[in-house]
Amino acid sequence: MNTSANQRAILMKEKLNADFARKGVLTGLFSGCTWGLNSVLLGLALGLVPILGEEAAIYAIPLAAACMNDSLAGLWLLIYNGTAGRFQEIIRSLKTFPGIMVCIAALLGGPIANGGYLLGISLAGPAYALTITALYPIVGALLSRIFLKQHIVPRVWVGMVLSIIGAIVISYVPPEGGNSSVFYLGILFASLAAFGWGAEAVLAVYGMSMIDPKIAINIRELTSGIVLAIFVLPLVGGWAVVSKVITMPVAFGAFAVAALAAGVSYLAWYKANTTIGVAKGMALNGTYVMWGVIFSVLFLDQPLTQTLVIGSGLVLVGATLVAINPKEFFKKGGEA
Amino acid sequence: MAELLPLRFRILHYISTVDKACVEQIMKALEPEYGTEKQFKKAVFMDHLLDLKANFIIDDNDAVIDDKGELVIYYSINHEGRRLLNKYLPKGWRQK
Repeated sequence: MNTSANQRAILMKEKLNADFARKGVLTGLFSGCTWGLNSVLLGLALGLVPILGEEAAIYAIPLAAACMNDSLAGLWLLIYNGTAGRFQEIIRSLKTFPGIMVCIAALLGGPIANGGYLLGISLAGPAYALTITALYPIVGALLSRIFLKQHIVPRVWVGMVLSIIGAIVISYVPPEGGNSSVFYLGILFASLAAFGWGAEAVLAVYGMSMIDPKIAINIRELTSGIVLAIFVLPLVGGWAVVSKVITMPVAFGAFAVAALAAGVSYLAWYKANTTIGVAKGMALNGTYVMWGVIFSVLFLDQPLTQTLVIGSGLVLVGATLVAINPKEFFKKGGEA
Repeated sequence: MAELLPLRFRILHYISTVDKACVEQIMKALEPEYGTEKQFKKAVFMDHLLDLKANFIIDDNDAVIDDKGELVIYYSINHEGRRLLNKYLPKGWRQK
């Protein structure tokens, strides 16, 4: 073996690893894009649900929608994994401890974070709740530093903060005057949501050291859907909503299509998280807020306000900083 | 024989039993267990190896160009990979 052949092998190996990481970045962006699509489609599907009273609108409908979204996405993923010959991998994974970790991640990110998010909005108001829950990538990044020992460079931190500010600008709603006595409880629930989503990613990535992300996300979606259906929906009267939707083919079809986008998005997110790390994966997934704006303007004739443009611009700049090192990008033939 | 492990888990476990191995060697060793499955493809194995490497559980310190001019990477387990296996490998697999 001569030196030049050795060097060529090293260069080829480095290129293979760099291409793999670049694919991970694109997968992360794709997860954000499809999650934005899911948000818009889910909004359309929710518009087809008949009015069931004010009480139902706060908890029953959103939680029933979350349940249908996760369960149907889990079924889509089951079809995907089944046709690819990976069905038995699901059973094998569930018999190992890392598989159980993915189930716990599902509970944190599914019922706990979703429930906290809805309760936060209802008790503390959207202005505070949405701002707090938008911080989940920072929680994920901090936890990944502590538990996964993932190193996060300052450029990625700056990009992440810019993206979060952009997301807050887009979703900001002026606070209503007068704090209720349950305000701080609402803040607590919103914090629980941010913690739940951040912890989900870290725990799932830990489990995915030994489990295929395609299987992990299937387990995650089915676990979350089943727990919401059995333990949460009966408490809030959510089954009335689900049984109503099932009898309406158009509404049910709309939820199924939205869930397909959710399944694809989650699949991409889990894959990106394992390949490029939790901090980058979460930040790139966070571009869904911007994609949501783009899809709403393009397909729903939503007016493009100055706030939406500024917020989306910040998300874009932030995500670019997370994904690409400007110094290397501008080098000749630069590696991103 | 203990129940089959998820493929990614088994790949990590196999690498822990040898000094180093390339994708072809790993596939040959695991063929009796997973050879009839649809997921038994070189691209799938490579994806698992690149992810394990990206998560700092295995190393790819050894790379050569073979007679056909193709890149062959030899993977070996590192300290973190062994720590994870010691912690999470099911009992039935411990003596293997």
